[in-house]
Amino acid sequence: MQNNGHIGPCIFSAKDVEIQFNLRGKTLTAVRKASLDLYEGETLAIVGESGSGKSVFTKSFIGMLDKNGSVTGGSLSYRGEEISKYTTEKEWLHIRGKKIAMVFQDPMTSLNPVRTIGEQITEVITWHFGTPHAQAKQEAIELLRKVGIQDAETRYKQYPHEFSGGMRQRVVIATAIACRPEILICDEPTTALDVTVQAQILNLIRELQREMKMTVVYITHDLGVVANVADWVAVMYAGQIVEYGTVREIFSEAVHPYTKALLQSMPQLGVKGHDLYSIQGTPPNLFKEIQGDAFAPRNPDAMEIDFEEEPPMFQVSDTHFAKTWLMHPYADEHRQELEKRAAQQKEQQKPAQPFQYEGAEKLLEVKALTVKFKLGDREFKAVDNVSFDIFKGETLSLVGESGSGKTTIGRAILRIYNKVDGSILFKGEKINGKIDRKKAKDLHMQMQMIFQDPMASLNERAKVDYIISEGLYNYHLFDNKEDRLAKVEKIMGEVGLSSDFSSRFPHEFSGGQRQRIGIARSLVMNPDFVVADEPISALDVSIRAQVINLLNKMKRERSLTYLFIAHDLSVVRFISDRIAVINKGRIVELAECEELFRHPLHPYTKALLSAVPYPDPDVERSKQLISYDPSMHDYSVDKPVWTEILPGHFILANQQELDAYRQEL
Amino acid sequence: MGKYILKRTLNSILTVAIVFVAVFMLLRLMPLSGYFPQEMLKETDEATRMTYLRNQGLLDHPLVQLGRFVKNLFKGDLGRSLTVYPKVPISTLLKEKIPVTAAFGFASMLLGIVLGLSLGMLMVRYKDRWGDRLGTGYILAVRAIPSLIYLFFIQVWVSLWLNLPMVFDKDIPSSWILPVICLSLGSIAWYALWLRRFMVDEENKDYVKFALVKGLPKKEVWRRHIFKNAIIPLVIYLPSDLLFIISGSLVIETLYAIPGTGGLLTTAIKNQDNNLVQIIVLMYAVLSVLGVFLGDLLVAAVDPRITLTEDK
Amino acid sequence: MENTEKNISLNPLKFRAKVFDQIASEDTGYSNYSYWRSTFRTFFKNKAVMVLVILIVAIIVMSFVYPIISDIDPNKVALKRKEWNQRPSWEHWFGTDTLGRDIWTRSWYGVRNSFLLAFCIALSDVGIGMIVGAIWGYNKKLDPIMIEIYNVITNIPSTVYLVLLAYIMNTSYLTLFISMASRGWIVEARFFRNRILSIRDSEYNMASRCLGTPMRRIATKNIIPHIISLIIMEAALCIPYSIGSEVFLGFVGVGLPVEAITLGNIVNQGRASFTLHPYQMLLPTIILCIITVAFYVIGNKFADASDPRNHV
Repeated sequence: MQNNGHIGPCIFSAKDVEIQFNLRGKTLTAVRKASLDLYEGETLAIVGESGSGKSVFTKSFIGMLDKNGSVTGGSLSYRGEEISKYTTEKEWLHIRGKKIAMVFQDPMTSLNPVRTIGEQITEVITWHFGTPHAQAKQEAIELLRKVGIQDAETRYKQYPHEFSGGMRQRVVIATAIACRPEILICDEPTTALDVTVQAQILNLIRELQREMKMTVVYITHDLGVVANVADWVAVMYAGQIVEYGTVREIFSEAVHPYTKALLQSMPQLGVKGHDLYSIQGTPPNLFKEIQGDAFAPRNPDAMEIDFEEEPPMFQVSDTHFAKTWLMHPYADEHRQELEKRAAQQKEQQKPAQPFQYEGAEKLLEVKALTVKFKLGDREFKAVDNVSFDIFKGETLSLVGESGSGKTTIGRAILRIYNKVDGSILFKGEKINGKIDRKKAKDLHMQMQMIFQDPMASLNERAKVDYIISEGLYNYHLFDNKEDRLAKVEKIMGEVGLSSDFSSRFPHEFSGGQRQRIGIARSLVMNPDFVVADEPISALDVSIRAQVINLLNKMKRERSLTYLFIAHDLSVVRFISDRIAVINKGRIVELAECEELFRHPLHPYTKALLSAVPYPDPDVERSKQLISYDPSMHDYSVDKPVWTEILPGHFILANQQELDAYRQEL
Repeated sequence: MGKYILKRTLNSILTVAIVFVAVFMLLRLMPLSGYFPQEMLKETDEATRMTYLRNQGLLDHPLVQLGRFVKNLFKGDLGRSLTVYPKVPISTLLKEKIPVTAAFGFASMLLGIVLGLSLGMLMVRYKDRWGDRLGTGYILAVRAIPSLIYLFFIQVWVSLWLNLPMVFDKDIPSSWILPVICLSLGSIAWYALWLRRFMVDEENKDYVKFALVKGLPKKEVWRRHIFKNAIIPLVIYLPSDLLFIISGSLVIETLYAIPGTGGLLTTAIKNQDNNLVQIIVLMYAVLSVLGVFLGDLLVAAVDPRITLTEDK
Repeated sequence: MENTEKNISLNPLKFRAKVFDQIASEDTGYSNYSYWRSTFRTFFKNKAVMVLVILIVAIIVMSFVYPIISDIDPNKVALKRKEWNQRPSWEHWFGTDTLGRDIWTRSWYGVRNSFLLAFCIALSDVGIGMIVGAIWGYNKKLDPIMIEIYNVITNIPSTVYLVLLAYIMNTSYLTLFISMASRGWIVEARFFRNRILSIRDSEYNMASRCLGTPMRRIATKNIIPHIISLIIMEAALCIPYSIGSEVFLGFVGVGLPVEAITLGNIVNQGRASFTLHPYQMLLPTIILCIITVAFYVIGNKFADASDPRNHV
């Protein structure tokens, strides 16, 4: 193979790899004839949703498939050596960890909790190079410094629980690069981290790569991350690589319908007030034999051939390949038709009018809300003196990192946590603390919650019919059985589920479908106000747009008010009218959506905005990270106050800071 | 840390006190005639018996008896046995019996840990294969069949088969073998069962996968990571096990006629030897509370995640 | 990335748009799944389990039917010496015991009585345990008190407790039941408390609370369906334990009176004459072991089968 646009030599090559798993007598084909080459010093991102086989594929590079899985076809070669033929552990050990290293998704679980982080790094060095322990220890300390851990000598002796998530991921990276590997595979290295930390970790990996001339393979579902880090991108769907090219080609000239759909469904590219482009349906079941193009059933513009014949890999340019029949000369006509339609659609969309706050009615008022939790004997404030209003018909988003207390606020409003200080008023009446039993019950008819995890939020032992009817039963909102079933059927239709599903158990549904069941359950009683607690963060990328559109549609049709809790600013920007930024239990800034993005004032908001990944390689690579250090505030004498600095723009600051912010404006 | 220990100690004392008082009071519910052996019931008349009881203080109000008992206890006087070994000081009794039982207990505890952990590792190593099935079968037999039954058959048949003595005789070293093995059967099954379960749990954790990805050989990962981590939740039971070697096993000591503490409590209860029962129950309660306490301390020492400054 | 265009003849007409099928795009390929169907399918897939279930059902049915259809009195003592200690024969399938009573007949009465006793204990342990566990799990304020009660009750070694209570209350089926049941519930309560705690804080349960679902329906729809398999498992595992305890109490001499026909009594009586007439103990023991092992295996396998992770 010629070096199509690659600078360095090819060091790793996977060809027609097929990987199968045996699950209780059934065969699951996780990777179906995928080919990929890795070149020295380059960064490749493999993009795909869960179940696309991206993780399994790269695990086979170092012989780390689970026990019931095996490479059943194709070849893997590292520097000319055929490694798929390796059978013993000994053969693998001179590559695994030494030449090809790997970093996992969740730093909280990647380290042994009962051994010091130092030992865990040192053992790699001593094992692979036979270095004496004292010397290996020095090297380990050096590595810790290199990944940006201060006071490395003391930290060496500490245990993982003494580190924050981001710091742990640094330790994991230090361990992975301890042997100066040629290839570093990062499996969703930042998914479990907060956005601000994510940006730092990506920068760290980039610096290390440059310094050590490593080849880095990212496995990710986040197109923002891809735009930030990758030179090359491979898109995987249903166990196959469907498109491959340079990062610019993939982001601006994608040809495969799946890649195109993925890019279009990014909320950053959506126009407010209109539906996001969304991919229909759910990913295919890999237990079944897949005929033709795996994406065809979900592709509204599929051709007949897509259902019958598997497309070959077509070459689009020197560096760009795509596995779709659209590139076949016979499909020219169909392709032009699609392009024409796409161009027309682009022109039509105009952003909707922003929400009119003048004369808007207050639906919910939160005043000086404080929620305390007990941890053993200690008490800490999960939410600290928070005040805000929600107007009828708006979407207010609460944005913050994990542990910021945003979920707690939502749950306090819904009386799940009832021991709170301060007051919460709904339609002018106090709803926190002890209230009349009947009133509390009525309240739940008007206020509902949509939960984060569609896997955990549905009762596994109840049929969909019961799950959706639960609210109807509680308030006897039906005349007879037929009436109830009709109501269930109606709402299922609204959330896009076939009414045949009502007699099934949640187990049978995919994440997106389950989330839609959850939405149906919350909305069947026609509430006025809905708290949506990270309703899309647990979903696959291709599914998110569906659910965002559904939430927007329901809001329009039923004139709902949302409190939208999220950590992902790009989604928030698309969906909300106003945004409140929360940090460590306190809301630091609250403003109308566009105002906040245009004039962020609080340093934490600035840091958060600067770290948001954007699916455009040019934007990503030129962005400047702003870091936030809470110690920059001097609140010892001059206490911060919640102030309306501009009409509708609130900020938490002391007098001195307010003056500075005013100057900025 | 200091605060934690103080709090735990007070709590432990309270638990022991409640257990002890409960048992003490229960014992006073027993019929007075129970204080006399059959022949004494026949030979003596009502008046003599009442005098005897009065002299022993058994007719006083239970709370008075309790007070007296506690007072003597603080003086270091454990009292004397009433009916089982009439008039023998209980301290002498215990001094005689505890060493025998403790020797058996210690030997069998060591055997239990060594064989139990080995069996557990064998089961994980050959998971879902013959080693695992063998171990599962053993654990099933020991846990499902009433112990009395298999212990009895071991005594009768295994002693014949291996030509070992059927009863204990402190002068014959080989008479130690069967009782020690019998005593350890249960703990072998216990250690094997839990070690296997914890190791299987650990094996599927991310850090183990990461350790393998680092390029460490499986054997090293098993030794340095999986085994070490799986042992930690078992460590909590070590102090209890160690303390309870002196309690002995009623069934085994009876079957092999070992002059230990195992049967002491049952005999004492049946003969309504209140003084003896009280001391033994007190001893057990202290041991078990202390065992749990020490177990928590030990775990805190081994597991860096646990600190003693706050409640679990 | 090679250009691997196939040289097959393609039909240009196939390159036309196809109508989009919404239903097909939602196809996740799952078959119609029901939790209980899958649980039982997984459970009965194991042949050994199948055999044990059939065996245990047969034994229990037999033990209830036999006393009705047979007119042999299990307590009928033979006066003639030659009818004592008979070996198994056509007339006496399991032989006769030292008093000439038919062991086959006694065994069935024994199975029935022991099983009933064990079943009642299992029912009360799990029943009370579940209710207390639910209250305990739902009420955080109860935690310190309940943990103390748990500590006190479990601190007394189980054998000591059984002996003491059985002795204080003179032995009968009822007292045996009370003494065993008064301890088992707390262990079960703690077990269920932990499970209910995790259900209580689960998102689906929170969702029900947000929907205003009354406690009654939360219990019947959210909690019980999730722990019913645990209830079955715990009840199944209680039975071998109860039968074992009964045998043990018989051995200690505080079991049921000799007239009571239970497996424990039959085994303990057979043990006395074991060296001369081994069949007197051996045959009833085999039945007893089948019962305990079967319940133990069934309980464990059912727990495995009811775990959705083990469903296909």
